Amino acid sequence: MNALRLQQNFRGSRAHFVLQDAGASDVLATALKRLGVEVATTSVQTATVSLPELAADRDIVFLDGDVDFSFDPPLFRAGHLPPAPIIGIVGMEAPSRLKGLIHAGATAFLRKPVHTGSVYSALFMGMNGYLRWRDLESRIAARDQRRRGRRSVVKAILLVMDQNGVDDDEAYAVLRRACMKARVSLEDYCESLVGTTQVERIRRLTASAARSGRAK
Amino acid sequence: MAPKCYRVGLLFSTSGPYSVVAQSMLNGALLALEQVNAEPEAGVRLEPVMGDPGGVNAEYARLAREMLNDGIRHVVGCYTSSSRKEVIPFFEKHDALLWYPSHYEGFEASANVVYTGAAPNQHILPLTRYLIEEYGKHAFCVGSNYIWAWENNRILRETLLANDGEVIAERYLPVGETDFDPLIEKIVDARPSFVFNTLIGTSAYHFFRTFRAACEKRGIEQAREIPVASCSLSEPELEEIGPDAVDGHLSSSVYFSTIDSAANARFIEAYRARFPAGPTMSADAEATFIAVRLLSDALRSAGSDAIDPVREAVGGAAITAPQGRVSIDRDSRHAYLTPRIGRSNGRARFDIILESSRPVRPDPYLIESAPRYTLVARRPNLRIVS
Repeated sequence: MNALRLQQNFRGSRAHFVLQDAGASDVLATALKRLGVEVATTSVQTATVSLPELAADRDIVFLDGDVDFSFDPPLFRAGHLPPAPIIGIVGMEAPSRLKGLIHAGATAFLRKPVHTGSVYSALFMGMNGYLRWRDLESRIAARDQRRRGRRSVVKAILLVMDQNGVDDDEAYAVLRRACMKARVSLEDYCESLVGTTQVERIRRLTASAARSGRAK
Repeated sequence: MAPKCYRVGLLFSTSGPYSVVAQSMLNGALLALEQVNAEPEAGVRLEPVMGDPGGVNAEYARLAREMLNDGIRHVVGCYTSSSRKEVIPFFEKHDALLWYPSHYEGFEASANVVYTGAAPNQHILPLTRYLIEEYGKHAFCVGSNYIWAWENNRILRETLLANDGEVIAERYLPVGETDFDPLIEKIVDARPSFVFNTLIGTSAYHFFRTFRAACEKRGIEQAREIPVASCSLSEPELEEIGPDAVDGHLSSSVYFSTIDSAANARFIEAYRARFPAGPTMSADAEATFIAVRLLSDALRSAGSDAIDPVREAVGGAAITAPQGRVSIDRDSRHAYLTPRIGRSNGRARFDIILESSRPVRPDPYLIESAPRYTLVARRPNLRIVS
């Protein structure tokens, strides 16, 4: 498993401000400029960020918790990975506002008034929290897919056992060698095998495996 | 019209584990301050208010608070980053300015600090490039256990990894530690291309002596075979190391007393005449001298010691310093400085072996050079499975 690589340099990134008033934007823009981050859009009181155009590797949204961001259609879907990292700007430190930011997907916070000394930490936490979340989501998705595929694996093992009179370990080994040869996952291979239900094909496969076993 | 008089805090640990460097910094400050007071054209008079925190962080906090509560708005001082981080909240609270005159590890740009020492792109990066080219890619890191060492080692490790090199080991010891025997055994056994040293003060001087002696005992020509490279080693520290182990050490610095220029000759002469008892000139003393000169220029053009006009005046300000032209970057309030690499000689001075052709823009967050993502040590792509 590869270790998650943390982002440490934000040069070339683009910031999108969704702020209640312009107050925080000057300090934030100055601090971001030092870090090589350009402010791409600033919207006050309305969220005019165009979601489909956001790219997680380039954009960062600074979302003010005091803005009413319960838009229709919703700007961010509660509990879902947002299209780009979100750093919450906290004015009213009340549970309802913080909950709103968490639901929007914020992975870091900056307290109002924004203090320049906290901006790098917020970027670092916000971006890397987002990357970790994205990494976990993709790993969970991959596992779910494999879990769904286990049914086909069991079926394929039974097929090979039934057709060739081998035990389950041998049947599994046969399938494993075949999927590696075909360069697909075991689950995908078994799914296509079971899907075709071509008994002949399974027989051929086992015969060729037996030949290669004898040849060793 | 009589020049306006301002009180300036000078916060240097002239006692404690890094007193030698701090004393040379205080000397640099006093030299600049006295020059300003003697020049009618300077247009200001500076009255020093001194404090010695003895290298204790809590004392830095106490003395800084006292100075600021007393109405002082500008303090020149601090050497270690831990002491600087300790006092910055007070400067922010009182909206005062700290003039921080030492090389440091970067990743900071407080609105209440002017940084006249070297940023990491002006010390560790040129040193790493030089070490890779001249000595190899296998480093052994030894440092005092605080942010200066951690962060420099991280930058070194990332640069080495990007060049297919490695950090064999990183060892940290408490500030002031002097027992190095087990560590030196490990270094000699590991045979790195070089040792990267971020020890400070007395720990560093002990390390240089013990390491040289241990190598000699084993027939290793230390300076040539396992050189020690530092970003903080200065002339007064070479004198502390002593004659048996003083030569052959590499140091990356924006100032060496051996710089051949008229401005430096004047500086050295004035410093020697004023402080015949020493300690010898150091890069941090020059950075402190620069800080006080820039402060007096900014106070004159601002016409007051209020923070906003002084901050405005210092952004873009430039002087001809002993190292060459030095100016302040408006965005980060760090200095454009000229990186150099020196090798120490038997006279406790540095022979300059490499010099940047022009002042280098400060990049405290390394946005121009750091890889976007952190690098992780490469493991072999193939592994034995049965």
